[in-house]
Amino acid sequence: MRVEFFLIIAALLFTIGCIGVLVRRNVIVILMCIELMLNAVNLTFVAFAQEGQTMSGHVFVFFVMTVAAAEAAVGLAIVIALFRRRRTTDVDDASLMRW
Amino acid sequence: MTLLIGLIVVLVAFSLLRAFLPEQKFVPVTLALLAAAVLVGLHYEDLARVEFWAGTIGFVAILSALLIVMHPNPMVSVLFLILNLFCVALFYLLLQAEFLAVLQVIIYAGAIMVLFVFVVMLLNLRAEETLRAATALQRWGALALGIVFAGVLFWAIQNRADRPFFQPETFKQGFGTARDLGWLLFTKYVFAFEAASVLLVAAMVGAVMLAKRRLD
Repeated sequence: MRVEFFLIIAALLFTIGCIGVLVRRNVIVILMCIELMLNAVNLTFVAFAQEGQTMSGHVFVFFVMTVAAAEAAVGLAIVIALFRRRRTTDVDDASLMRW
Repeated sequence: MTLLIGLIVVLVAFSLLRAFLPEQKFVPVTLALLAAAVLVGLHYEDLARVEFWAGTIGFVAILSALLIVMHPNPMVSVLFLILNLFCVALFYLLLQAEFLAVLQVIIYAGAIMVLFVFVVMLLNLRAEETLRAATALQRWGALALGIVFAGVLFWAIQNRADRPFFQPETFKQGFGTARDLGWLLFTKYVFAFEAASVLLVAAMVGAVMLAKRRLD
């Protein structure tokens, strides 16, 4: 069993999350796909930390989890504010600041 | 590995049978259970191998990730994301990151996903009928870029320095425990730790401000 196994799984998860961000319209699903991508990167960090026998990768995963919690809270608050004003969670309906 | 591949084949055959014979309720289930039992009986020694279980967790993780992206109902997506996070927590356990596995279940599968479930239920969303309205050029471009990206990642993985690992007898005692992580967190990374607390306060204030009904 090699570290490559975990790297391949993480690469697949990241690619699936990336495709989800690109093709879905619902803001909540897009946020979930971002969580999926963050998790894939976390898995890579932990795999390399185990390979190099250093704990710094774990510390980085810890901070990524912190940022993910903050991002989910703020993102979902924005989704609620958007839904209250526009009655929609479609990203294509909230394109005022796109360009 | 034979057992895992056999079980995946049985699962695929079962889904195909269910899709093509919707009126037959019990025949596909019986056939699939029988085939799985025969497979386990033939290759029961695979059950004691860590590769089998890692492969199973990986298969479930990929499948749940695909269902997150493909399912039209956001509620089902949330539930599959929780399953996916549990799979990643099991991977952390395999990689000797026990404290992070606990954190993953508590913070991600607990706190963050409760937030997601709450918002999805609060907004009472309908299932979306279509995917994002993109032009054909954008769609094929996204697909091509995704394939190229996956190819680059696999190329990078294949060409890295080949180092064998994962012999449990070489595991260092105490690696990945809360004690080691806390030690690093409060000595080498103490500034980042304090900055994270500021970030969390800012996020909390921002979330409350954004979700308030009237901004005045």
